Amino acid sequence: MVVLAASIVSKSGKVLVSRQYVDMSRIRIEGLLAAFPKLVGMGKQHTYIETDNVRYVYQPIEALFLLLVTTKQSNILEDLDTLRMLSKLVPEYSMSLDEDGIGRAAFELIFAFDEVISLGHKESVTVAQVKQYCEMESHEEKLHKLVMQSKINDTKDVMKRKANEIDKSKIEKTRGEKGGFSSMSSMGSRLDSSFSDMSISHGSGGGFGSGPSFGMLSDVEPINTKAKDRSRSSVTAAPKSSGMKLGKSGKNQLMESLKAEGEDIIEDVKPTGQTRAAVAAPTDPFTLTVEEKLNVALRRDGGISSFDMQGTLSLQILNQEDGFVQVQIETGGNPDILFKTHPNINRELFNSESILGLKRPDQPFPTGQGGDGVGLLRWRMQRADESMVPLTINCWPSVSGNETYVSIEYEASSMFDLTNVIISVPLPALRDAPIVKQCDGDWRYDSRNSVVEWSILLIDNSNRSGSMEFVVPPVDSSVFFPISVQFAATTTYSGLKVNGMIPLRGGGGATPRFVQRTQLITQNYQVV
Amino acid sequence: MDKSSTLLVHYDKGTPAVAKEIKEALEGNDVEAKVDAMKKAVMLLLNGETIPQLFITIIRYVLPSEDHTIQKLLLLYLELIEKTDSKGKVLPEMILICQNLRNNLMHPNEYIRGVTLRFLCRLKETEIVEPLTPSVLQNLEHRHPFVRRNAILAVMSIYKLPNGEQLFVDAPEMIEKALSTEQDPSAKRNAFLMLFTCAEERAVYYLLSNVDKVSDWNESLQMVVLELIRSVCKTKPAEKGKYIKIIISLLSATSSAVIYECAGTLVSLSSAPTAIRAAANTYCQLLLSQSDNNVKLILLDRLSELKSSHRDIMVELIIDVLRVLSSPNLDIRRKTLDIALDLITHHNINEVVQMLKKEVVKTQSGELEKNGEYRQMLIQAIHACAVKFPEVASTVVHLLMDFLGDSNVASALDVISFVREIIETNPKLRVSIITRLLDTFYQIRAGKVCPCALWIIGEYCLSLSEVENGISTIKQCLGELPFYSVSEESAPTETSKKIQPTSSAMVSSRKPVILADGTYATQSAASETTFSTPTVVQGALTSGNLRALLLTGDFFLGAVVACTLTKLVLRLEEVQSSKTEVNKTVTQALLIMVSMLQLGQSPASPHPIDNDSYERIVLCIKLLCHRNDEMKKIWLESCRQSFVKMISEKQLREMEELKAKTQTTHAQPDDLIDFFHLKSRKGMSQLELEDQVQDDLKRATGEFTKDENDANKLNRILQLTGFSDPVYAEAYVTVHHYDIALEVTVINRTKETLQNLCLELATMGDLKLVERPQNYSLAPATSMQIKANIKVSSTETGVIFGNIVYETSNVMERNVVVLNDIHIDIMDYISPAVCSDVAFRTMWAEFEWENKVAVNTKIENEREFLDHIIKSTNMKCLTGPSELEGECGFLAANLYAKSVFGEDALVNVSIEKQTDGALSGYIRIRSKTQGIALSLGDKITLKQKGSS
Repeated sequence: MVVLAASIVSKSGKVLVSRQYVDMSRIRIEGLLAAFPKLVGMGKQHTYIETDNVRYVYQPIEALFLLLVTTKQSNILEDLDTLRMLSKLVPEYSMSLDEDGIGRAAFELIFAFDEVISLGHKESVTVAQVKQYCEMESHEEKLHKLVMQSKINDTKDVMKRKANEIDKSKIEKTRGEKGGFSSMSSMGSRLDSSFSDMSISHGSGGGFGSGPSFGMLSDVEPINTKAKDRSRSSVTAAPKSSGMKLGKSGKNQLMESLKAEGEDIIEDVKPTGQTRAAVAAPTDPFTLTVEEKLNVALRRDGGISSFDMQGTLSLQILNQEDGFVQVQIETGGNPDILFKTHPNINRELFNSESILGLKRPDQPFPTGQGGDGVGLLRWRMQRADESMVPLTINCWPSVSGNETYVSIEYEASSMFDLTNVIISVPLPALRDAPIVKQCDGDWRYDSRNSVVEWSILLIDNSNRSGSMEFVVPPVDSSVFFPISVQFAATTTYSGLKVNGMIPLRGGGGATPRFVQRTQLITQNYQVV
Repeated sequence: MDKSSTLLVHYDKGTPAVAKEIKEALEGNDVEAKVDAMKKAVMLLLNGETIPQLFITIIRYVLPSEDHTIQKLLLLYLELIEKTDSKGKVLPEMILICQNLRNNLMHPNEYIRGVTLRFLCRLKETEIVEPLTPSVLQNLEHRHPFVRRNAILAVMSIYKLPNGEQLFVDAPEMIEKALSTEQDPSAKRNAFLMLFTCAEERAVYYLLSNVDKVSDWNESLQMVVLELIRSVCKTKPAEKGKYIKIIISLLSATSSAVIYECAGTLVSLSSAPTAIRAAANTYCQLLLSQSDNNVKLILLDRLSELKSSHRDIMVELIIDVLRVLSSPNLDIRRKTLDIALDLITHHNINEVVQMLKKEVVKTQSGELEKNGEYRQMLIQAIHACAVKFPEVASTVVHLLMDFLGDSNVASALDVISFVREIIETNPKLRVSIITRLLDTFYQIRAGKVCPCALWIIGEYCLSLSEVENGISTIKQCLGELPFYSVSEESAPTETSKKIQPTSSAMVSSRKPVILADGTYATQSAASETTFSTPTVVQGALTSGNLRALLLTGDFFLGAVVACTLTKLVLRLEEVQSSKTEVNKTVTQALLIMVSMLQLGQSPASPHPIDNDSYERIVLCIKLLCHRNDEMKKIWLESCRQSFVKMISEKQLREMEELKAKTQTTHAQPDDLIDFFHLKSRKGMSQLELEDQVQDDLKRATGEFTKDENDANKLNRILQLTGFSDPVYAEAYVTVHHYDIALEVTVINRTKETLQNLCLELATMGDLKLVERPQNYSLAPATSMQIKANIKVSSTETGVIFGNIVYETSNVMERNVVVLNDIHIDIMDYISPAVCSDVAFRTMWAEFEWENKVAVNTKIENEREFLDHIIKSTNMKCLTGPSELEGECGFLAANLYAKSVFGEDALVNVSIEKQTDGALSGYIRIRSKTQGIALSLGDKITLKQKGSS
């Protein structure tokens, strides 16, 4: 796989151009290339030569040889591809295929060869691509030049204006005003500078303090996703291997016989390095999950465009024999919320005693580990005023001169403590990250999606409101919307709680152990 | 190691570029002129002319240029320029280019960024790279894949530099992240490559977490995966099992390059029969699907490697291998047959021979150029089969005998020698072969084949009917006697006129040739023509082939006819009871012989009969006239016996060769034993490949040097100046393949500092100095080492001469010390090699340069002399030891060697022991180039004197 050099040699043995891709001394490459013409025999129907140390793969082009010097282990199929590619390029860059022509185009050829082979490895490119790469016509450069030009023009304008102002002020000065004004201003500026020094040192200290928390945040997330990925991949791998048994029995036979012959083959390969504990499997007999999902659209000038909260209560039972139970719950008494039970649930029992049990008490609840368990209860809330919204965002883009200042602030309702808040503000396509003037919490710029992400780990009573300010080149303010927000909370609108489990059979009356999870999460929370 | 070179451009010394012109052009504003000047500057740099003042000009005037081509050329210039001082510290002015490089890395043009990143890949100086690292990292997230892919490579190269890990502590992590989101196949490949070389465990992790997707990956990425697997398995053989599945899934990839690589990997990782079989099968499929000859040949190489290590598995695939014979390329066919012949067993011999027969028949129908040669190859293959497995001989011999009349003399010759061997070794086939031969004898057209066929008839016609049949066949082929009639003689003037000029030309073109047994003989041009161009008899079916050949003047054939007839008659005497019949035959035979003699002396023959044939025919006549038992015994039995002896010796030799071959594959005494019932250890065997790939690269780049014996090194020291010279110098000469390295130790013997000391070397012959000499200053009584490299481009004795020039402080003139010449020995470049007899003879005929050295030696024994020549010329003796046996006072042998540049050197030794005990004769050297012939001749002249 390693191409040592790509060269063009004349039939008489003169080295016209050679480009080496691995480190080798000059005497070595010259020796190899000098030996080549002597090794080329006439009347052979193949175009490679092997010596003790290297292999030459060549192609005659009129009075020249185009050749690759490779290692002997090199993949001939790939090398021939490379050679073919190069042979197409040579006539593209050299007018005449003789010594003079190649000599004139030597450097262009070297540039072209570089595009095809990088560090000895073949690049998959086409002739057109190579030409494009060598022409180096860049759209972005043109854009950049235009921007530069306009900037220059702008500056000229500014210059003119300033010049006018100065002229004016000069005229005013000549009118005879004198004083220590100038010295005053100089003092002020000194004061300013010392202040800014202080603030910098303070800021850095603060940054240091917030360091660990940031680290935690960034660490936690990838772990979760990786664990998920892995569990998913292992789940999907299992059925796939059985599918292989049916479909590609031939390959499997190969493996089987390899095993029989003593090869150790591990079929379901899981990455071993960096293993981390996967999500612990549920060990408690009962798991009850209360989950509320928010779909909210806020208007950018305040007010709610739409509000929708959907809640579910689901029950997961580990063992079949524990299926005969009832659930005692307590609702928060929010009048805006309407509960709906599953059709199989005894509705009267729920309405009267807030107990969830099956209509036919001789049947158990379905069991199983998969999924979220069985949904028992659903509820919705659609009407809400602004005070009910957990988090409001206020975004003020303002254009001043050549820059757009964007200041964002959030205000959280005291009803909820929010965790893992991420506010994503879309930006125009930028080359550099925006200049952030001020920020409560942390921020990150994702250049691929051009989004600035403002993250606050926890919003509680200490920071019910916060703000961030950044500067970008001038753009239309509508670019910054829709802002999307993600967060989670452990308190819910409904305030639904599970008070206990009532076993219907045996058990001696002791309440079984159960786990309750309650969370409020955002599904689609946007400022439009 | 020497400074590595990254590019070469041919530079015409005829038009020297002046530094001043370049400078002016660089300072100007004309872009075209600037480009040209940059190119010239780079070329000058390549030729070792570092014009230091140019560098500042370039920094001042070229760095700010906006033109892309200029920027690229600038990068080339920077790539070539010496960036460190003699102590390895980075020159201070290099800091100036850093800013420019950083600007380039942040350039709005993505291609400028890309090429700059690529330039960074070739940069070795950590100090220059260091300030650029943040910019490199930013490019990892550039929008354009072209930039990203080069950025990844740049990160990899920088990370690999000494101390590179400190520049990029978290490089592997970043690349891993980039890899997970990367879409561009090339950038993805590069990222994976980076992980593979810099953080293997991360690459493994990525691979294993994407096991299911491997088969969908891009071709180039799959290649790196295979490379990774090989490297991981090398270091941790225990984890091999994890990867076999991946390899097997890649075996069904779409790209043939990947499949090829896969098979190679499989072979290197496992020696389990299934794995080998899968790999071999893959190779066979590729053989059939790929149309490129190069690919086929290399695949065949791989197969023959497999064959030597896993013959039992390859045996199963022999028919698949033989399918490749459909390719029209002779080299491929030859290789295929070579492989197939080693794989023949009792089980597949029939199939193989069937297939070969089919191919032979095919060559008859198609009218392709190389058919004759191909047929010859096939016949040789069948011959080899039949020797190994005599039972198949019966099925093929008749088919092959159809080719006796072939117009291709070589293949007909092969057939007839095949028949000769079979008829001796396989007595059961004798009768059928003889009948067949007698039936087809009249078809034989070639003057070379006839004698052999006649010999078979003479030796193996045993029964009465066969003998009679034989005699009549010969008579038939000779046609009506006498060979020329008076009517023909009536127009002798015409024919002789026609023939005369040609024959005189022939006589003049007589030249010596080497006979098959190594003797150096003068061969008449006439018989040579029969050798090279088959004399196919013109319109001769009516007159018989023997007659026609005789009429062209082939009297050697006449002698053979006479001998055959004599043998047949002698045998007839044994089997025929009727005396009259015998006598009748004897008279007929005598008549034939006499008419042949007559023809030989008549003007109708193109040239008169040679003495050898004449004597032989006369001997036959005498014998037939006075038959006795002793003579009969010699003619009928001894002749056959010597043939049997020859055959058995040949077989013995083949057996010995085979034994020598198998000896190496015997199990070692401490090898583990495989129990069939237990788990086989084959799969667990150590990886043979080990560092093969790495070594391969090292050998290719010339880094691989064997540890040499220091004592040996001391032997090769040459003293260059005298002990009393102000400067003492001695050199240690190492000859590598294509270059000679001189390590000169220079010692200042004076009490003054020598300034501007310079070692000036010049060469004669095909040698070239690589570098320009440098100036040094040498303190009193100190020594220093100067290295010089000299390039060699052909095998020839070369001479390096030179002098040391220096200045002292008080005398303002230069002193010169002339050095001893250094002779480069041709022996360092040639190595013993083997070639076939036929190839040797054709080369001998073709080569233009001959050097003839008269033997002049004190050695009195022929063998001893030959051994001495072989030893002192480093050549291989092609003439077999059995042919050199015996004390007859004559010795002839062929020697052969090949140079590292692929040139052939042929030597023929012909010596005779004089009556006074001294040896006389000639040694002839032939080669394509004058250099070899001359230098080898000098060498022999020098060395032949005695056992010094």
